[in-house]
Amino acid sequence: MMIRVKLIANYREALPPEAKNGVVELDVPNGTTVYDAISRFDIPLDDTSVIVLNGLTVDMNTPLVEGDMVTAFSAIAGG
Amino acid sequence: MYGWHLKLLRVNLTTKKITTEDVDPKIARDYLGGRGWAIHYLYKEMDPMADALSPENMLIFATGPLTATPAPTGNRYMVITKSPLTGALAHSNSGGEFPTWMKRTGFDMYIFEGKSPEPVYLFVNEDQIELRPAAHLWGKDTHETTDILKGETSQEARVACIGPAGENLALMAAIMNDKHRAAARSGVGAVMGSKNLKAVVAMGNKNPALHNPEGMRNLSVSTSKEVGVDVKKGSNMRIYGTSYVPQVTNTLGILPTRNFLQGTFEHVDKIDGDALKNQYLIRHTPCYRCPLSCGRLTEVPDGPYKGKGEGPEYETISSLGTGCGVSNLAALVKANYLCNEYGMDTITTGMTIAAAMEMYEKGYISEEIIGMPLKFGDHDAMIAMIKLMAYNEGFGKELAQGSYRLAEKYGHPEIAVTTRKQEFPGYDPRGSQGMGLLYATSNKGASHMEGDVAYEEVFGVPVKENPLTTEGKPELVRHFENSFALMDSSGLCVFVAIRYAFNKDRMILPLRVTEMMNLTTGANYTPEEVMIAADRVYTLERMFLMKAGSTEDTLPHRMLHEPLPDGPAKGMVVELDKMLPEFYKLRGWDEKGVPTKEKLIELGLPV
Ligand code: SF4
Repeated sequence: MMIRVKLIANYREALPPEAKNGVVELDVPNGTTVYDAISRFDIPLDDTSVIVLNGLTVDMNTPLVEGDMVTAFSAIAGG
Repeated sequence: MYGWHLKLLRVNLTTKKITTEDVDPKIARDYLGGRGWAIHYLYKEMDPMADALSPENMLIFATGPLTATPAPTGNRYMVITKSPLTGALAHSNSGGEFPTWMKRTGFDMYIFEGKSPEPVYLFVNEDQIELRPAAHLWGKDTHETTDILKGETSQEARVACIGPAGENLALMAAIMNDKHRAAARSGVGAVMGSKNLKAVVAMGNKNPALHNPEGMRNLSVSTSKEVGVDVKKGSNMRIYGTSYVPQVTNTLGILPTRNFLQGTFEHVDKIDGDALKNQYLIRHTPCYRCPLSCGRLTEVPDGPYKGKGEGPEYETISSLGTGCGVSNLAALVKANYLCNEYGMDTITTGMTIAAAMEMYEKGYISEEIIGMPLKFGDHDAMIAMIKLMAYNEGFGKELAQGSYRLAEKYGHPEIAVTTRKQEFPGYDPRGSQGMGLLYATSNKGASHMEGDVAYEEVFGVPVKENPLTTEGKPELVRHFENSFALMDSSGLCVFVAIRYAFNKDRMILPLRVTEMMNLTTGANYTPEEVMIAADRVYTLERMFLMKAGSTEDTLPHRMLHEPLPDGPAKGMVVELDKMLPEFYKLRGWDEKGVPTKEKLIELGLPV
């Protein structure tokens, strides 16, 4: 199934060249979770990273469905 | 005494009398410094019902005990006064270099009273304290004013001043320091303008004595190192400042778009941090002694929006940019420069123009009245409006009163997205419920700087909270409000302080800030005492608000009755009723939001 991953700001360095505006499309097997999808990228998953599914706060083990968008960014401060 | 000088400067602009006063050490300890000291004096000395633009209003510049110490980001000051925009309390924070220089004059705080009959500026170089004529500066923008004043005093001096917007009493006028830094919100610049005070120029060598200099140095070095590691891990703030945030809030569907008619902006990629970095960024610029260094020098090299300056930051992108539906980055950057030069708060400026755009598109205000078409996305019209507002000309006269008065005048108060008549910052609370409670109850009207729970709801700092739920939010808001009162009183910048101020386990105690305060002042605070002092400050500010008559804690129509039409928070409004009663109870306030007698006694406040 096809899903999308969007990385914001400095995380964009971990994206492959075909990414556009920080978004890359991926073909992933059924059962792939939020965690699985984001682990494909070389970004630190620590207390500074925030990961959301379709803009919503979810458990990292949530299985993805076709068309989902996983977004990750690093935050050390706000606006 | 250490940390604090325990000295304040009182300037009566009517009589030109300048006096210095000692600060009672008990008051110093109980109210921490900065914002805390200022509300103590304001509450004691001023009638909260006084007209904000009259000589009766007091204008206070206040540094904290950590300002001008080795503490990383110990570079802040607060401007406290009664706001002409809200009729409530104003407390606006700024960094850069001026606050450190101000503290080095040997005074923690300057109090301005009365009104000068002619334009003046205050020059302070330790014991040399003079009110000087400023007629030659009147009408000059903040950059020209700063250059002229440094030229006629000393290049070693630092300047805080108003631009044309403050002189013309625009209710969104800011006080700018070091050209690019702003004590922005609530019209503090208009109060300065009403007093005919064009600028304050500070210099000196009186660094505050430290109780334990070696301990403070060591703690500051290790804290700087920790921040440095953070910067390496996630260098967003260094590279992007806050300009990376539009992508985040757009993802969550809470990016104010077209006066909050939407929560996502289809052109966000054109005006985000990457676009800014790739097109106009020159280099980053820190405030004094800041290991994070989030400011950025930018330049639009050519074309109609040619210019050079700092920013824009997130709050400017979400107001003058997405708020107005503007996707032309060069024009947005230029609008930001103009606001800095005229001395204007970009949030209220942008969101007032956004409200006017909505009213124009809905046919509530005609092209004849405005003088030109004013559609969402029309960046040239937006820039034209900023100029008119700063100079109080044409339709700018009406815009300069803010969106609440504008919408009310044209019979459509539901268009104004404000609380206590102050425009919302860049987080749509329908998709960030805690922010909704914060905006509704904030003593200074809508403001993220009153207790930015978006740190948790949006950024996961220090813990990620679901932004769409209301459970636990009253306690979160209460805690953040008190924490911000502490940081604003201490002299630290929240961007960094939030990272080292609290324990990870729900941030119950500000251990690091307490340690810094103790090493600096020798006051031997416990973390519990520090939080009680912050609660005291917040509660006294509430009392000022109650006496100023701005007593209703609510949200504008759009937030309570118009569900978000798009994005992840689609269909939501703010569920304020679910949070407000619990919040009042946790704060020790009655069901109308008034602090109870018991609470005042518990905090040692006047009953
Ligand atoms: S984090 Fe940014 S705003 Fe805060 S002190 Fe540092 S440079 Fe200034």
